[in-house]
Parts: sequence; structure tokens; C-alpha cells
Amino acid sequence: MKKTLAMLLCGAMTMALLVGCGNGSADATQTATEETEATETTEVESETETTEETEAANPEADRTTFVVGFDAEYPPYGYMDDNGEYTGFDLELAQAVCDMEGWELTKTPIDWDSKDMELNSGSIDCIWNGFTINGREDDYTWSDPYCDNSQVIVVAEDSGISTLADLAGKNVGVQTASAALSVLSDEEQQKALADTFGSLQQFSDYNSAFSELLAGSLDAIAIDIGVANYQISSRGEGYVILSETLNSEQYGVGFKLGNESLRDIVNADLKKLAEDGTVAELAEKYGISDLICLK
Amino acid sequence: MDFITILQQLSSGMIKTVGIFFWTLALSLPFGLVIAFGRMSKNKLVSSIFKFYISVMRGTPLMLQLLVVYFGPYYLFGIKLSQGYRFIAIIIGFVLNYAAYYAEIYRSGIESMPVGQYEAATQLGYSKSQTFFKIILPQVIKRILPAITNEVITLVKDTSLAFSLAYMEMFTIAKQIAAAQTTMIPFVVAAVFYYIFNLIVAFTMERIEKKMSYYR
Repeated sequence: MKKTLAMLLCGAMTMALLVGCGNGSADATQTATEETEATETTEVESETETTEETEAANPEADRTTFVVGFDAEYPPYGYMDDNGEYTGFDLELAQAVCDMEGWELTKTPIDWDSKDMELNSGSIDCIWNGFTINGREDDYTWSDPYCDNSQVIVVAEDSGISTLADLAGKNVGVQTASAALSVLSDEEQQKALADTFGSLQQFSDYNSAFSELLAGSLDAIAIDIGVANYQISSRGEGYVILSETLNSEQYGVGFKLGNESLRDIVNADLKKLAEDGTVAELAEKYGISDLICLK
Repeated sequence: MDFITILQQLSSGMIKTVGIFFWTLALSLPFGLVIAFGRMSKNKLVSSIFKFYISVMRGTPLMLQLLVVYFGPYYLFGIKLSQGYRFIAIIIGFVLNYAAYYAEIYRSGIESMPVGQYEAATQLGYSKSQTFFKIILPQVIKRILPAITNEVITLVKDTSLAFSLAYMEMFTIAKQIAAAQTTMIPFVVAAVFYYIFNLIVAFTMERIEKKMSYYR
């Protein structure tokens, strides 16, 4: 009897993990279908919004804290500064929103691979960290896009690689569960290009990927342009970004699917912050002025 | 960013790493004994349950167990997680896992005791619990110390697995500094920290072993 119970519990444990993993990989695999569905869902959402708005405004009325989940190894959007404090463009923007609403901002660094589990379980309120909307439209409730982004290829200066076609047979690195990875594994986007690579290596953070590039075991890294600029400017000479990009996409704040009420508040505040120039000011501070698309 | 600043930033993580280490040790050592008793129970059912527990704990990765302990309550029962649960989940995960290993070490020690000692103790009028705590256990501890030392040293290094629950222990912070400053120095500091920590552990255990070798 007890043995079967133990077996059941064990089964439940495995199930829980499978569910978790399923969510995690969903954003990488579902891209193709979502692209087409995206426009439909936004229409549906805007319809439901109008009806729900009156009721939905209430649950956020007594909110006092705002827990932002971010990858602390993702400068310049979220990282640890020289004083050991978490900072970055996205975190300062989140702070500005909290200042307007009178919320207390809790910055929770998360393991990027478990971001969906963290969000769904309620340990964070949103993912705000250079979070690419494209390809994940149906997986989260999104704010308006605030930042343009493109996925680019970084190579060593003396590698002799100057176009995407030169990458054939080379070893390319990419961050696990990142937007760059989903672009490269999407049939409709750059899957054909990725198939020409010698190998596509996944890293948990870009620091180790850049070390491998430097050491020569990697030939190229697929990466967000903002992060690429930061990495190159802080590492100095020796790297180039290919002028051909993999795609262009946009960053937004991701909320748990269905959390429209919180999303609407943040959206409205972002708009105000864009109007009064706070966004532009922060963008200049972090060197991403060219990328801001929130007007 | 100079070496001293890196060290300062890592120090908060070091405290947390040490915290995980001591909590786990303090709870898993006694808990392991309980499991060892269960495993050695004469009742077939009880012993097979504990045997199964040990095989699951030893047979699956600790990182996976941590994820189950932390996210399990939500995915299984829909309970919302609070910030404070992160640390508790880590300790529960580590204790459950390490207790299974300690249990087997205890068992090896207890079962190595000659039956004659139990017989002699019964003849001298010792009760069952007296026999165990006054005669058997002190000898068992002496015998299993080297094996325990092995596990304790592994524990020091395993604390870095807490990163999977985004707990800001030292290695997690080292990775963050490395990312922000694009340097490898934090990893060097981390390596030195683990090594010194383990030197202290090994030294302490050696001292205890020497103290225990009173019949030699």
C-alpha cells in the first residue's frame, strides 16, 4: 500500500518536471504557428480587454510590491554593477514605473531556464529583461514593445567570416532558451542557415560563450545586438558584428498569461515615461538610444 | 573593478553558501540515522520503502530534486510560492538528498559490528537502546568518519547547485560578476574559496578522527 503510494508520488514528481520542461521549450518550438496566429490573438485580446477592464482594475488596487524577474547575466538590460547592486536599463525603467505607482520594486535574479516556472508559480510578477516578444506572442501577456532588437552574429576579427554564408561548417554558440536560438531553430526564419553550421552549441550565459570564442573553440556567437555591443565595448578590440542580421524583433515586458490588469498599468506608465523623456534619458545612459521604439 | 571589490561582492554569497552547508549538515546527519534504521528494519515493508527512497534520492540528480521541491507545490497543488520559500526549498532538497547518502554510510558502519557485542551487552543487562547508544554508535562513528568526510566535502561543492533556484550563493554571484565585468577573476576567487573551505573541513575531520582513536 505504502509502496504504491510512494510510486505514485514519484510519478507525480516526474510529471511536475515534464510539465515544467514543456513550458520551457514551448517558446522555442511553437514559433512557426504563432507568427500567423499572433495578429488574431491581439484582436481577441483587445475585445476581451474592454469588457474586463472594469473588474480587472480592482485586483491590482492593493498591490504594494512589484517583483521583477531578470537574468542577472544580461548586461546592459539587467546585471550587477560595480557596487554589487542590480541595475541596467530594464531594471531602472521598472524602478521608474514603481515610483509612479508607489510600489516597492523587488529585483529577483532568476535562472533563465526556469523563467516560466518562476512566472507561473507566482514567485515573480513579470519577466523584464530584454525579453523578445517575437515567437512568444501566445506564451505571455505582453506590454507594448519598448525596444527594437535584432539578432546578430559576432565573430573574431581575424576569423575571415564576413557574411552569413561564411558560417557554413563553423561552430556557432547561442544562449539556451534565448530568442537567437528560436530564430535559428525556426523553419520560417533561419533554420536553413543553422543547418549549414558545423554545430550549434548552447551556453547558459554569454560570458562563457565569449571565452570560447576567444579561445578558438567557437567561431561565432548568435546574440542580441544590445548585448553584443556591451560585450564588445567592455572586452575591447578583436570582435566584429556581421552587418547581415538574422532578424529584427522587439522587446517587451512579459506577464503571466491572462494578467491583463497588471499589464495595463505598466503599459500606461511606460507611455508616460516615454512622453516625459525618462525612457530616452535611460537609453542614453545605457547606450541603446538607437534601439528605443516606445514613443 | 579590482580584486578587493570582487571579494567584497562575493562575501555576501559566501555567507549564504556557508549557511546552506551548515543547515544541511545539521539536519541531514540525524535524519540519515533515521533512514538507516528504516532501511535496516526487520519489517520487510518498512525496509523496502526506505530502500526505494534511497534509490530515488541517489538515482536522480540533486539539481532536479531541488526544482521539484521548489516548484512542486505550485505544479502539483497550485500553491503560490513566496520569496522566503526559496531558501527553505534548498535546505529541504539538500537534506533529503544527503540524508540518503549518510543513511547508507551509517548502515555500513552499524552492520559491520560483530553480533558478539550485542550478545555480551544483553548478558550484562543493557537494554536495546542502551546497547546502541552506549556501545555500538560510538564505535560506528569512528569507523564511518572517513566516508562521512567524503560526503561533507562533496556537500561544500554541491552548494553551487542552489543557482538552479536562483539563490544568490557565491557561485551564482561569481557568474553574475563575471558577466557584468566580462572577466574570469571571480571564478578564480570561487575556486580558492571552495578549496580553503574544504581544507578546513578536511582538517577538522582529521582532528575528530584522531580524538576518536582512543583505543589505539
